[in-house]
Amino acid sequence: MSRIAFAFRSFFSILFGGSLPEDIAREFGYTKIKPVAAAPPIDLPKPSDGALQMLSILQRDSRLIDFLMEDVAGYSDDQIGAAVRNLHSDCRNSLTRHVTLTPVIDGVEGTYQKLDAAKAPDPNRIKLLGNVPASGKAPGGTLRHRGWAVSAVTLPPVGKQDVKVIAPAEIEIE
Amino acid sequence: MQQYIIGIDLGTTNSALAFVDTTRDEAVNLFSIPQLVNPGEVAAETLLPSSLYIPGPSEFVEGALALPWNEQPPYIIGRLAQKRGVENATRLVSSAKSWLSSQNADPAQPLLPLAAPEGVTKVSPLEASRQYLLHLKSAWDQEHSEAKLEQQIVFITVPASFDAAARELTQRAAKLAGYGDVTVLEEPQAAFYAWIARNPNWREQVNPGDLILVVDIGGGTTDFTLIAVTEKGGELQLERVAVGEHILLGGDNMDLALARHVERELAEKNAKLDAVQFHALWQQCRAAKEKLLSPEAGNEFPIAILGRGTGLIGGSIRTKVTRKEVRSLLIEGFFPEAAPDAAPQKQKRAGLLEVGLNYASDPAVTKHLAQFLRQAAKNTGEGGIAKPTHLLFNGGVLQAAAIEERVAEVLQNWLAEAGAPRLTVLENETKQSDLMHSVAHGAAYYGLARAGKGVRIRGGVPRTYYVGIESTMPAVPGMAAPMKALTVVPFGLEEGSKVELPLRKFALVVGEPAEFRFFSSLSRKTDVPGTMIDEISDDFEELAPIEVFLPAQEENERGEEIVPVTLESNVTETGMLELWCVANDGRRWKLEFNVRERHAA
Repeated sequence: MSRIAFAFRSFFSILFGGSLPEDIAREFGYTKIKPVAAAPPIDLPKPSDGALQMLSILQRDSRLIDFLMEDVAGYSDDQIGAAVRNLHSDCRNSLTRHVTLTPVIDGVEGTYQKLDAAKAPDPNRIKLLGNVPASGKAPGGTLRHRGWAVSAVTLPPVGKQDVKVIAPAEIEIE
Repeated sequence: MQQYIIGIDLGTTNSALAFVDTTRDEAVNLFSIPQLVNPGEVAAETLLPSSLYIPGPSEFVEGALALPWNEQPPYIIGRLAQKRGVENATRLVSSAKSWLSSQNADPAQPLLPLAAPEGVTKVSPLEASRQYLLHLKSAWDQEHSEAKLEQQIVFITVPASFDAAARELTQRAAKLAGYGDVTVLEEPQAAFYAWIARNPNWREQVNPGDLILVVDIGGGTTDFTLIAVTEKGGELQLERVAVGEHILLGGDNMDLALARHVERELAEKNAKLDAVQFHALWQQCRAAKEKLLSPEAGNEFPIAILGRGTGLIGGSIRTKVTRKEVRSLLIEGFFPEAAPDAAPQKQKRAGLLEVGLNYASDPAVTKHLAQFLRQAAKNTGEGGIAKPTHLLFNGGVLQAAAIEERVAEVLQNWLAEAGAPRLTVLENETKQSDLMHSVAHGAAYYGLARAGKGVRIRGGVPRTYYVGIESTMPAVPGMAAPMKALTVVPFGLEEGSKVELPLRKFALVVGEPAEFRFFSSLSRKTDVPGTMIDEISDDFEELAPIEVFLPAQEENERGEEIVPVTLESNVTETGMLELWCVANDGRRWKLEFNVRERHAA
């Protein structure tokens, strides 16, 4: 093809189409960037996934959801107590396996706990009760509850699991 | 690089791996084995349940069975297999190890799970063992890419009562799993090594002339071993002098017996349990056994089985197990105060043996023990029972202290009756939970001992082996010709030594397999090689036949050549017993176990 033809075709192509014809671009060593097809939506873990997964683990290992959803009003304390003893140890095992819990203040409850009098405590970590001064600052007080904080969470990858199903239905084949 | 000594306890119900890093110190460490503990969740535990589950095509969510070293493993091994097997037992393989020593089924055939529905591809006991070993190897290699397991020094433990064929199958499973050379070690010996490793002052606790009885009660098997303490050049030496028969009876049977008892009681009250509930009951019965048989025991243990369905408390079943029940069921049932001349009851065998495991027909462990001690004494000529001076316990079941007490008490009574001094129970200065790992621990320590860094128990072959020879008596019509037994391997033949039988020649036809019947005896310890025994009595056990094939040589295609050979036996450095046919011109052929013929018994 002649250079003039190239020039014309390029000119009109750019004028009306906004880009070089493909064959001409190849001839001159340019590559045309094709519009990238929209990537298939990746299933990013949603913030609720971890919570649902934790529920699913507690149900699987200790049947906590069954227990909480059951109407226990009609049962005697004895009956509930006997069932809960196992549930408690199983539930605790799976909780401690996946979540590392530590107290916010590692002190003895009921004893005096010193605080920084110069500034108000971080409300995330410490809640003041009783005769709280107007400034919100206090030199200390009685430790009523040590608080709980999570220092590590280890949950297995969700993979293709449908986290919205906390426990599958079970069907026994006779 | 060869840096580690590895001890593997390939157990009937649980497996474990311990190792020594020879570039550091001589401490034995336990390896935490990554395994699926739930679908999609891999966690490391020190025990790998010896359970294999064959997953169905759409049983699990895609990717939920992935392991760090395998995206799509064909089987589930370990904790998840055990858990899922409770819900669907027909796809679960368990106790594969017991099948390796089974005399009425071929362990290389796909037999398991016995009750698998049609369409499930079964696996052989050999393959299951290979899978457990492969899992351990993959897990190890994953963490030690610089020191792969096949290059390390590996010891695998087997029950002392395993015969030569079962030991070979264990080694074959390891080879098929890609292991290098492995040495087999007897479990009670490994348990004793673990005790030595944990008691650096052990030399002060035993003296020359002492006889140590090791009672090893595992999940599915019970093993007895006697170890003699001798002295040579001022150094203490240990020699394993007797091992007991393979008793398929262990702690799991005890928990199960208790669970069945509770289940019967519940059935009387019209409470029926399904498989999952029964398993929960079984687990709680184990806890009840340990609690009620320990010194600080209360008088009862509450059992609560949660309801099925979403109603948890509504359908729950409550009951309790009392100390009295546990004692009468477990202590009196499994460890009765037997007399020293008691013998376990042998069930009358039906004409045809059903394919299945030969579970011990008499659950009384103390009777088996009496029989073992009598057999051990038989050869010393004193009669009565062998008189151990020390007792070492091993196995998870002994977390129930009362069992230990009863066994010791029964032994003390026997010794008093025989006018012998009381024995000393060797204390295991260890956390109870470590009892589950003792065998692997001891196996790794044994590796150090072999490297010259500790005491070694001399043992050798724990049985006498015989080849069956048809006598030339005129046969009675309808009856097989009487069989005689030629001693080929003496009791105690040690690793690295061999025995030749030059006087007895066999004529083998080239190009045709020749088969020998093969026998062993645990109690006949004085027969020397070449001795002919006229009658094959009760104390002989027939093993898988052994066969040899002499290929026709190229230049002699006619076949029909008859080669006179003699038999030679040797024990390799890795503890394998080998039998060879040797021709006059020095040609040698190895005799192989013919496992295919096993079921023909």
